[in-house]
Amino acid sequence: MTFNQPTIDYAGLSPLIALVATLCVVIIASIIPRVGRFSVALLTLIGFATTAGLTIWQWGASENLVSNALRIDDIGSMAILIALLAAAGTVLLSLREPAAYTAGHGAYYALLIGSVMGMVVLAQSINLISFFVGLELLSIPLYVLCGAAVRRKESLESGLKYLIVGSLGSATLLYGFALIYGATGSTNFGVIAEELTSAQLASDTLVLAGVAMAVVGIAFKLSLAPFHQWAPDVYEGAPTPITAFMAVATKAVVFVAFARLLEQGLGELSGIWSDALAVLAVISIVIGNVGAIGQRSIKRLLGYSGIAQGGYILVGLVVVSTEGAGAMIFYLAVYALANLAVFAPLVARERESGFGDDVNGIAGIGRTRPWLAWPMTIGVLSMIGLPGTAGFIGKLFLIQAAVDGDYTWLAVVVVIGTVVSLGYYLRLLSAIWMEPQPDAPNTQSPMPVIAGGAPEADASAGGREEVPPGSSRCVLVVGTGVICAAATVLLGIYPEQLIQWATEAGEAITRAVGL
Amino acid sequence: MKEVLFWIGAIGAIGGAAAVVALRNPFYSVLALIAHLVSIAGLFLILQAEFIAAAQVVVYAGAVMVLYVFVAAYVGGIEEPKLDAIPGQRPLAFLVGAAIFIELSIAIVASGLLALDSGGPEVALGFGSPAGVGKLMLERFLIAFEAASLLLLIAAIGAVVLAERRRRDESDAEEALG
Repeated sequence: MTFNQPTIDYAGLSPLIALVATLCVVIIASIIPRVGRFSVALLTLIGFATTAGLTIWQWGASENLVSNALRIDDIGSMAILIALLAAAGTVLLSLREPAAYTAGHGAYYALLIGSVMGMVVLAQSINLISFFVGLELLSIPLYVLCGAAVRRKESLESGLKYLIVGSLGSATLLYGFALIYGATGSTNFGVIAEELTSAQLASDTLVLAGVAMAVVGIAFKLSLAPFHQWAPDVYEGAPTPITAFMAVATKAVVFVAFARLLEQGLGELSGIWSDALAVLAVISIVIGNVGAIGQRSIKRLLGYSGIAQGGYILVGLVVVSTEGAGAMIFYLAVYALANLAVFAPLVARERESGFGDDVNGIAGIGRTRPWLAWPMTIGVLSMIGLPGTAGFIGKLFLIQAAVDGDYTWLAVVVVIGTVVSLGYYLRLLSAIWMEPQPDAPNTQSPMPVIAGGAPEADASAGGREEVPPGSSRCVLVVGTGVICAAATVLLGIYPEQLIQWATEAGEAITRAVGL
Repeated sequence: MKEVLFWIGAIGAIGGAAAVVALRNPFYSVLALIAHLVSIAGLFLILQAEFIAAAQVVVYAGAVMVLYVFVAAYVGGIEEPKLDAIPGQRPLAFLVGAAIFIELSIAIVASGLLALDSGGPEVALGFGSPAGVGKLMLERFLIAFEAASLLLLIAAIGAVVLAERRRRDESDAEEALG
């Protein structure tokens, strides 16, 4: 048996290699006693910046890497850039996060880097095996990060719930992949597409059952209704910067990987899966928007609104066109910015107000904290899709793609969903600008016990690891929000450059991946 | 011979899986799971996947199940917590489960069974042997192989994050008490 070394294109793999190097550096740096949390965070940020630079350097490339395991093209690069943006924002928001203290900053950032690594693999994978491994590499660090705040019972609940539901989703996905492989005899998207056409497997029940299970598995990961029940609980319990990361990066990357699987691998069956996805989109829009009304926890509210937004984004996939894929990636980019602009002030208020993520925490900040109020307002307006923000242009493209793809009724559903969503988005805005600031509750509450830990163990450990005081006026958190809000407004007025990138990315998805 | 082995493996696998769910005592469930996994390993062997069969026995029936036995022995005997089920959840779960079973049965009966009378696919010599699997890992699935090793590293870091906090607190408590 001879060994044929696969061709390894190091230039194409360079973003992944940079992340692995960052991971090693961060782990090693964090065990050196004199390296503080700022240095670790800085190293992580440098690593992310390098990865982003290498990804941009590879822009326009369109080739398969390492025996057709990965494919470097514009839509994958775009997803990676969105994920890196979200990850960098998360690092800035996490500097004073209690969960980062309990986990240790080195381990916390190492897990974050690990998740981003999974995202790079997933966004580029054109093989069922690398797809699955990438998805697991993305998810497993997130399970831990969700449960990293061991002093909050909700955090542990969140981590456990995410682990169980995520594993269920992975198992379903894997079952589907096994059936697709069984029917087509290959794990490679290019060969699967070839087999579906040449062997006339388009009505083969084994393939169809496989596609159905794979779609369900991915819908779990994307929290599309009716596979969404975990999302509000997990979003609420997870440390807030991690919630922001999950809401933004996971969604962007999994959507792109989903598009790749469906269009580059299973494009022959588009007549079948696009109708199924249209139904999922409608259910998500309805359940997300209705569920968000009446939530008092802002993170829960954003969890439900994320389900609805997932439904909007799915429209770009339903129409099966370059236009739709471009609209999807454009919306994912502006959704990322809007989300970070909302989450950054939320992180700041959560630490200083004493209300946690309750709506009371942001009441009246329009007068007292304008630097927090404005980014949040702009982010919320962009999620609504108000003209002048990037969200408007994103929604416009999605609706246009739906109408052009003969899914006008779906465009109508998106518009109705947007109108319903005003009900809860405007409540946030009225809390910020019109309500008086309530009296702070007793913030001198004793440190909560370690969830599930012995009380006497806690008595001695408590107080030693207090988060430094004065954390409220953190320039980095406020700055993250302001920059993302500014970018949202800027892209709302001058969207041309992002439109061009999104169009190039949309064209990449329809190219056949080859054998 | 092959047919006999297949039926033994198939009955063992399905019976074991059913017993895992049906048995009340967690310790017996673990034993049933071992029977299930060994049966699956036998089926792999019929499919000429010797390496996978060996890995199944060593990793799952061996290492992982030892862990399960330990957990069952440690926390066994605790009263089952009463879960307040959502009204209508049980019949709904039964209905959905039956629907998925029927769907998969249709899929497998309609196309999978067509190959029943044929001799199965022609496999090259050394398919599924350790050397064949190793070659696949380093050639076609190199990226997945490397990513899986990074996954193990990340999982180890995650385990440390979840375990270390508790342990450090407990050692502090011991100091305080002693």
